[in-house]
Amino acid sequence: MRHGGVTKFSFQNLFGPIIIISALTFFVGRTSASLQLITQFTLCYFMMVLALQVFVGNSGVLSFGHGSFALIGSYISGMLTAPINIKGHALAMNQLWQALVPLHTNIYLALLISAIVSALFAALTGSLLMRLSGLSAGIATFALLGVTYNVFFNNKRIGPGSQALPAVPTISNTYILLLLAVLAIIIVYLFNISHTGRTLRATREDAMAAPALGINIYKVRLIAFTLSGFLAGLSGGMYVHVAGTFQVQDYYLEFTFLTLSMLIVGGSASLWGALLGTIVISAIGQLLLMMEQDLPIFGIHVHIPLGSRAVIIAVAFVAMLLWRSSGIVNGKEFAIPAFWRK
Amino acid sequence: MIQSILDAISLGGLYSLAALGLGLVFGVMRLVNFAHGELITIAAYTLVLTTQFPLLLSLVLTICVTAFVALIMEFAIYRRLRGVNPAIMLVASFGLSTVLQRIYEFTFGALPKSAVVAPSLSGVVKFSGLSITISSLITIVLAVVILLAMGYLVERTSLGLQLRAASADFRTARLLGVRSNRLISSAFVLSGVLASFVAFILVIQNPVVNPYYGLNITILALVGIVIGGISSLRGAALGGFIVGVILSGLNTVLGNGRVYSYTWLFITVLIILLVRPGGLLSKGSELERV
Repeated sequence: MRHGGVTKFSFQNLFGPIIIISALTFFVGRTSASLQLITQFTLCYFMMVLALQVFVGNSGVLSFGHGSFALIGSYISGMLTAPINIKGHALAMNQLWQALVPLHTNIYLALLISAIVSALFAALTGSLLMRLSGLSAGIATFALLGVTYNVFFNNKRIGPGSQALPAVPTISNTYILLLLAVLAIIIVYLFNISHTGRTLRATREDAMAAPALGINIYKVRLIAFTLSGFLAGLSGGMYVHVAGTFQVQDYYLEFTFLTLSMLIVGGSASLWGALLGTIVISAIGQLLLMMEQDLPIFGIHVHIPLGSRAVIIAVAFVAMLLWRSSGIVNGKEFAIPAFWRK
Repeated sequence: MIQSILDAISLGGLYSLAALGLGLVFGVMRLVNFAHGELITIAAYTLVLTTQFPLLLSLVLTICVTAFVALIMEFAIYRRLRGVNPAIMLVASFGLSTVLQRIYEFTFGALPKSAVVAPSLSGVVKFSGLSITISSLITIVLAVVILLAMGYLVERTSLGLQLRAASADFRTARLLGVRSNRLISSAFVLSGVLASFVAFILVIQNPVVNPYYGLNITILALVGIVIGGISSLRGAALGGFIVGVILSGLNTVLGNGRVYSYTWLFITVLIILLVRPGGLLSKGSELERV
């Protein structure tokens, strides 16, 4: 997790990932309807991994709490866009606080509101949590996730509780999601090369020397945490408009570990690592799923027994960590391989 | 009322055993072994699947199997990750925990396995008008005995001395002749033994074992070792105990609102961490490198 990260603006560092994500979305998304849906979910996960990269990658502090920002983003965007008669009459919503029923807006405004509210929530909780570091910070962020999940899972006055909020309108155009992802890449890249981003990485490298140089660890971490909360909230909002339903369970342990492992496998210290990790984990999962269902992959049938997919994914994850514990890209940003440049 | 107090103490004892298992391994290699929960799960499976044997034999078998799995973890995975950033090791242990859950699901099936383990230990004793569940009494007795045994082992034996020395400063301990591989393996075996006892107590209370059986208690034990003070075994045991007592107390006090007991527990944890970031038993403000 240590070392790495860019300091100077470079076109290939920024546009390499943008071109790759656009090309992949374009080609994979066009092959079939099911792959298009997978692409859409992957773009949502990527947004979450970017959010984690901003905070976890730059500060070196592990956060399990980002699921709560995604949950809140998803909840707000879902509740603001679900049809009013569903909120008023669906069985899952019969205990809903009536003042929440008439609130309604369009998808894009809802996404913006959800990201902003998540950022505010992150700033509020971060102002307390960022005093901690190391394992205490990890556990404290986990406690935050626990509180948010427990409240939303049980309180049927504010939402669907343990059930699902149905009929959330979906974004059927993959390119809108892609556009959001590209905007996020640009924001994260600019943050990473900014003064704050660089100082934050300095605190990651040496928590004793950084304050000696006049860096306020609390302040830079809080800024990153807030930005990270904004992106996590946006990712939750995107997810709810791809899934078409809001369910609290979607943003708990499994979501947290999946997105964290995407970040760590790719290499948490760089944006390129975040993208590569998301692509690799999603692609392995998808290929294994196709093998399990005995579908052809480029015309070749490879069959694996039903249920072995989950074992293989987990084993692959551990093997990758053993192979390269600082991630596939090892802290480097995207660069065109030397033999192409001549 | 007395039953509630006993419940709280027994849950606290149980969690402190689980926390101690985590704390032992953390002490020697700065690893938060999230896959400890899967040790508890395999122990529970072994107990449930060997009910045809006498209880003692079944328990011995369980301890052997669990310690063996713990050793495999250390040889196959953690030995290769020594010296890596603790955060990466934590994430690797999440991965390992998922691997084991999937393997259990594959071998034992996703549906829970259940069998009555030690039927004589479930039930109620009447005690001058009070009725008290036997399982809570057994838990308290067992927890006290094991904690005392662990206390003896850590404070009075050579292995314990080495464990404490390694927790304080691993590099210096090695320089002074502590054999690191052997010590770390022993810590894993001990944590496997503790996991077996935790599973034994859990299975008496709830004999329905699924692949995720040990997950919940591990999360709470993990919270426990951090609020207790992760750098000492005493802190780990204390933290686990506190979490168990708080949780059990909340379940009693909140009544119908007990669905929110985790919320209040985690809020308490947050407050403890904010007041004492290094844990309750930490000495002053030692700055931990991230």
